[in-house]
Amino acid sequence: MTEILSKEALLLSILAAPAVLFLLFSCLWLLGWTPHERVMANTTRVSYMLMVAASLWLFLGGERRILVSMGDWFQAGEYRFPLVLFADRLSLPLIALTAALVGLVGAFSVRYLHREEGFFRFFVLLHLFAFGALLIFAAGSYDLLTAGWELVGITSVLLIGFFSERRGPVLNAIRVFAMYRISDLGLLLVLFVFHNNAGSAVFSSLYTGEWPNQTTTLPPGIALLAGALILLAAAGKSALIPFSGWLPRAMEGPTPSSAIFYGAISVHAGAYLLLRGAPLLATSVWLSAVVVVVGGFTAVLASMTQRVSADAKTGLAYASMTQVAIVVVETGMGWYTLALFHLCGHAVLRTLQFLRAPSMLHDYHRVHAAAGGHLARSGEAFHLVPDHLKVWLFRYASEFGFYDQLIDRFVTSPVTRASEWLASFEPGQRPRVSETAKPGEPGGRIIAQAAGHTAREAD
Amino acid sequence: MEASIWLVGFVVGVPCGAAALALTRRPGSPRVLGGWAAAIALAASLTMVGVTNLDFSSFAMSLFSLLALTTILLAPQRDLVGTRMPGLLLILGGTLAAYSATSLAGIFAGWTLSSLPHVLRWFSAPGPGPKSWAPQVALGASSVCLALGAAVMTWMPAAEGLGALRGFTLLILAALLRKGIFPFHSWVARAHEDGTPGAAALLLNGHLGALLTIRFIIPMLGEASRQALPLLNDLALFTAVYVALLALVEKKPRRILAFLSVSQASFILAGLENTSQTGITGALAYWPVVALAITGMVAVYSAIEARYQGTDAPRDLLGIGARTPRLAVFFAASGLALAGLPGTLGFVAEDLLFHGALESDPLLGVALPLATALNAITIFRLFSTLFLGKRVNQVPPMPDALARERWPLTAVTAGLVITGIAPGLVIRAVSPLAEGISRLLTD
Repeated sequence: MTEILSKEALLLSILAAPAVLFLLFSCLWLLGWTPHERVMANTTRVSYMLMVAASLWLFLGGERRILVSMGDWFQAGEYRFPLVLFADRLSLPLIALTAALVGLVGAFSVRYLHREEGFFRFFVLLHLFAFGALLIFAAGSYDLLTAGWELVGITSVLLIGFFSERRGPVLNAIRVFAMYRISDLGLLLVLFVFHNNAGSAVFSSLYTGEWPNQTTTLPPGIALLAGALILLAAAGKSALIPFSGWLPRAMEGPTPSSAIFYGAISVHAGAYLLLRGAPLLATSVWLSAVVVVVGGFTAVLASMTQRVSADAKTGLAYASMTQVAIVVVETGMGWYTLALFHLCGHAVLRTLQFLRAPSMLHDYHRVHAAAGGHLARSGEAFHLVPDHLKVWLFRYASEFGFYDQLIDRFVTSPVTRASEWLASFEPGQRPRVSETAKPGEPGGRIIAQAAGHTAREAD
Repeated sequence: MEASIWLVGFVVGVPCGAAALALTRRPGSPRVLGGWAAAIALAASLTMVGVTNLDFSSFAMSLFSLLALTTILLAPQRDLVGTRMPGLLLILGGTLAAYSATSLAGIFAGWTLSSLPHVLRWFSAPGPGPKSWAPQVALGASSVCLALGAAVMTWMPAAEGLGALRGFTLLILAALLRKGIFPFHSWVARAHEDGTPGAAALLLNGHLGALLTIRFIIPMLGEASRQALPLLNDLALFTAVYVALLALVEKKPRRILAFLSVSQASFILAGLENTSQTGITGALAYWPVVALAITGMVAVYSAIEARYQGTDAPRDLLGIGARTPRLAVFFAASGLALAGLPGTLGFVAEDLLFHGALESDPLLGVALPLATALNAITIFRLFSTLFLGKRVNQVPPMPDALARERWPLTAVTAGLVITGIAPGLVIRAVSPLAEGISRLLTD
């Protein structure tokens, strides 16, 4: 009994539960059985309640450090992939938060998606996401963290394209997937840096001490390189500049998935990565400064854009981006504990706001009418800004600093043109493939087309 | 040992005999004949796994028999008529013969036999449309190069000096032609476009070019290999990125699948040519990933091609997944495994490949993630184009995965996932060979 309730067994159970649910329901579906909505709802409720109880037991039980070593997943030559789970003061609150918020969103979705065509698909993907997110927070090595990272990415993309009968969500999902894959290169490359220099990517071989007072064992130059690559990966997942353009597109998914991905957990994964890699950032004042600048600039721009957003969910997305960017600034400044508190508080608040979004406008109109149309106006301070500057600022903010256009012009377009030029040498291939391309066809500039289709346009 | 020889003869003989029977008698149900021949070959290969205690040959033979069985069971009826079923069986028999070969003459026989159906255009689509000669020329040239290389190596067994260089050049040329490494990649796209994609994928998934390299070129020409393989490594890397870029803007699904297949298969050759045991193990473990994933994707594409007119060069999102959700899931699962999704063998193999690459060639460690990222984008784009973007009532009625299709596709998906969660079996099968190659390249 003691062994069953040991902290290691509890951590393992929390991690395994959503994976088991995902595999079970997927296999049953592939074999031809689609579970009833009530079955999905009840299993989700019971599982996540148990997970929340277990994670609170660990979190409130005063555990500071849980290490679960399960040997090597696989090995070849001198290389080993260790299966190490690790929970400390940084990851325990996030594990508890993930279990609680995914369970909450699951409970909300039972009614919200009732009789929706993709009800089953949503829940299966939610379990896969929960497993990926928990793997990120409970991983004891960057190798394992990468596995969770990629699972979160793919479930995010599949849920953006949830309403697959419309072309907007599909094109946006392609765009987001491309952004994720490019920024994830940072995480893949940092694995090489760790293995090459420390012989391992296990946290205990890279960092000494206890979070938040850890130091790295890597030489300063290598730590700087690793920190820069981690910032690249974090920027992609947390929608920092220059990868910010994907976040409003992600609002195409159903509201509960927007809440859990872009309000609560997924968007904070980048901030967690930076907090976990804090000892690397601390070795270089320049790298810390870059983190602060990237976070600060994202926060200002997202805040401006949020003020000119025309719909509630996009506004919330930019508000979310603002707060995540401030968490990143706090990390860059070395205020790690504050950043963790901010992250957790923001995740909870934003989940509430996202889940309330569908009924919020209705409530606003009701309150507005009850107040006789005299609710306090906002934005009065902008009257001080000259008119021509106001127009320019509005344009700049509504286009989010033209970052998407810059990426299209200087990255997507050159790569597409180069590929088309290479393709023109292929036997039997007409030159300039995209000349005949129409939106949505494979070939041509589908990613660029996706760029032109924002969530606002879809709304 | 004698039992093994008889077993090999049986494994190779059954599909070849069935092909001969299908050519002379024209059976009423070619799928039944081909399916049984492939199933018997699979059962006998699995018996060999037990007899040989899981050596690489028996593992590769079992895998290829499974691929052939899957291809035959999943192929639309139109892809099995006339000379097409005997062609698939000849590819199976020839490839199994090549896997079991212990001499250059043996691999030449299997190599040529498996190329024969494509050289004779047994899979060409009927009709007056223009057909490319590229597959015939490339496969024919690869057989000629292999024959000449084998002749040089036979006449100059000492394998030194100019003779060794000539032999090495010819054998490597044969491998490059067969695997579709740049600048010989175009024939693969044409084979997929002009013939049946299932047959082209089966031919390519034999990976006989890689087999020739690990079985004969490196052991017989160790010194030349040590000198020249870094160059070939770079060529394979270039192919991976170059063909991934071609796939990024391609609009015909058949050509996209061909390019994905060439780009990802280049990883195998690139990995084999670095000196670390980790990287070579990764390359050999990537072999079944490419084989299973491409077979799954091509099979699903062929299935929807047979159900829906207009998939050859779609000008809009087709939304077929609204009618065929299970086929869509099978396609996505295979594609994501190819892109290295965690929980599939693709993740394990890529992890080993990338880490091994770092030990010997940092360029490989950068180029491979880049090519994988580009291919992942292409896979998701193709998936979206074929399966997403329309309501059910906007797509003509068509059946989802039939029972005949569902079980083999489940087997492919399960194979990729189970070996991804517990990769020990695959790694155990390829490790001794990887260790041997690594020793040959470093000693």
